[in-house]
Amino acid sequence: MMLDSLYIAWRYVVFQRGKTATLVGCITLIAFLPLALELLLAESERQLTSRASDTPLVVGARGSTLDLVMNTLYFDDEQPAAVSMATTQRVLDSDLALPVPVYVRFRARGFPIVGTTLDYFDFRGLEVAEGRTLAVLGDTVIGATVAERLGLGPGDSLLSAPESVFDLAGVYPLKMRVAGVLARAHTSDDLAVFVDLKSTWVIQGIGHGHQDLAAATDPTVVMKRDDSNVVATAKLALHTEITEANRESFHFHGAPDAYPLTAVIAVPPDQKSATILRGRYLATDERDQIVVPGEVVAGLLESIFRIKNVLDAVILIVGLATVLAIVLVFALSLRLREREIQTIFKLGCSRSTVARLLGSEILIIVCASALIVGALMIGLDGISNGLVRGLIIR
Amino acid sequence: MKRALLALSMLAQAVGAEPGDLSVYAVNYPLAYFAERVAGTHADVVLPVPPGVDPAFWTPDITTIGRIQEGDVLLLNGAYYAKWLQWASLRISRTVDTSAKFRDRYLPLQDSLTHSHGPSGEHAHTGAAFTTWLDFQHAALQASAIAEALGRKRPALRSTFQKNYEALAKDLAALDAELKAVNSTRPLLASHPVYQYLARRYGLNLKSVHWEPDSIPDDAQWSELESLLASHPAEWMIWEGVPDPETEKRLRQMGIRSLVFDPSANRPDEGDFLSVMRRNVDDLSAAFR
Repeated sequence: MMLDSLYIAWRYVVFQRGKTATLVGCITLIAFLPLALELLLAESERQLTSRASDTPLVVGARGSTLDLVMNTLYFDDEQPAAVSMATTQRVLDSDLALPVPVYVRFRARGFPIVGTTLDYFDFRGLEVAEGRTLAVLGDTVIGATVAERLGLGPGDSLLSAPESVFDLAGVYPLKMRVAGVLARAHTSDDLAVFVDLKSTWVIQGIGHGHQDLAAATDPTVVMKRDDSNVVATAKLALHTEITEANRESFHFHGAPDAYPLTAVIAVPPDQKSATILRGRYLATDERDQIVVPGEVVAGLLESIFRIKNVLDAVILIVGLATVLAIVLVFALSLRLREREIQTIFKLGCSRSTVARLLGSEILIIVCASALIVGALMIGLDGISNGLVRGLIIR
Repeated sequence: MKRALLALSMLAQAVGAEPGDLSVYAVNYPLAYFAERVAGTHADVVLPVPPGVDPAFWTPDITTIGRIQEGDVLLLNGAYYAKWLQWASLRISRTVDTSAKFRDRYLPLQDSLTHSHGPSGEHAHTGAAFTTWLDFQHAALQASAIAEALGRKRPALRSTFQKNYEALAKDLAALDAELKAVNSTRPLLASHPVYQYLARRYGLNLKSVHWEPDSIPDDAQWSELESLLASHPAEWMIWEGVPDPETEKRLRQMGIRSLVFDPSANRPDEGDFLSVMRRNVDDLSAAFR
């Protein structure tokens, strides 16, 4: 009996293709939107909180804690004010945590260049899948996504991007050699170009390589020379690529403690050390700040969830309106189908049979929508990791 | 959570939760010797510099850098020693700057040449005298830093390392006392500017030329020496190695005798750091007697 009703209802919804498609579309959308939003937010919460909870403490310049955390953990474009290597030394000297310096300022073909030390790879548990790890100035180890999108592998090279095309005296591109590719980590590390900290200082111009001016005799290169100083002309070319032949000509200027960083990840061995270390950054005249990324991200998520509540309310209202519209569609449909229903009665069918027929039609439409929503959700779940990183976290 | 545990395990490794011999690399022989004395049989101490090469100017290849990166500890001398450290990628968690405690007492290089190019103006390559261990008090501090670092890696062996360090410190203190007793203001020459800390600690009236033991100085270098002798009438010149006989002969004709005070930056052919230093101290003491 039920199967007969379902068959007749099926024939009806197939015959009324346009109306059926509209109804299925409406129900699908209204069900998919909140579910998709929920899934994406849950994924972004997972990604944000897992990386944040894996990063015990971040030390940086006073200012926006969110910029500091987003730049340090997710290599976001927004740069916090710079600190210096003295900040790293301070953490090291405290004997309370292992410092992992990070300098995220430059980019290469759209991907962030992350200047750090090998401790970062240990700390994040990153493995080199191809090639080798960083060994010398100018080496780069790229994330799995960078390698995939740019088609790069060990032995290839990658140019750092100038910060501004109008800054002729500023940062010049450095040709970096790809030493290795990291195994996929499903984190922001997949989208990063890792170099030794010293390489970022070369990109910035703090370190550079050129011919030995002390031994230079070419008058077109040496403008002036006395016992204590040699002045070079503009002809003196700075190396834009670090090779085995010119590596030893690279040198740094100024006090190493003053070289810039964007943050220092501090990894204390226990909670007690973390608390003592945090206490050392509480003075009012303190120029640095120490933050717990988990707390900063929790604050961010709170804001996201406040927005989500608003979105939920909007979706609820739109959903209610859609349900009412669907009810109206069915009510109007009943009116339009009055003659058809009368015919059914005349054929000897009861009211319950008519109700069963209409119920079957609704069931088919709802099931079709549910199937589509299910398929869409499975698809979305498959790409949510990358989608969240691309759209929300980056 | 998994990553947090990984980070903690990494740190645990850094503070010495893992058993087994430590793999210790040193940038020069004095540090390798101190590590061998402090660690005893509990560490495999490696000086990656080939024999006969000055570790301060040695350059490792990529493979060697890879091996050094995998070591548990890399002992640095500090004071800008070992130029390759400027361009090699290393771990903060595994490097130990043994002279960090007396960083404020580094002696800046006197003869550094500045250079200017581009908009950044005049600048010098930062540098300091680096044979820190020739001040035996500094050497003891460096050995102490090694004992602390090894103790952090192997907490269970901390007392052993401390005991071994104390024995080493005693030997270094004996050398220090003996050199302190020299206490002479008589002019002294050095063939190479590597004795700055030695001169400062032991009050030596030392001036330096820039000669190599295995090459004969040219006329300009002899003239420079003669000018120097006018204001600094030294009777002895100390050398890093045995000077060329011809150079020694000419110096003798000028009334200058030669003696070797080997900084022992690389592993000696015979003996060890302590025996080389003892010979150095004895020879210097005899010269001033």
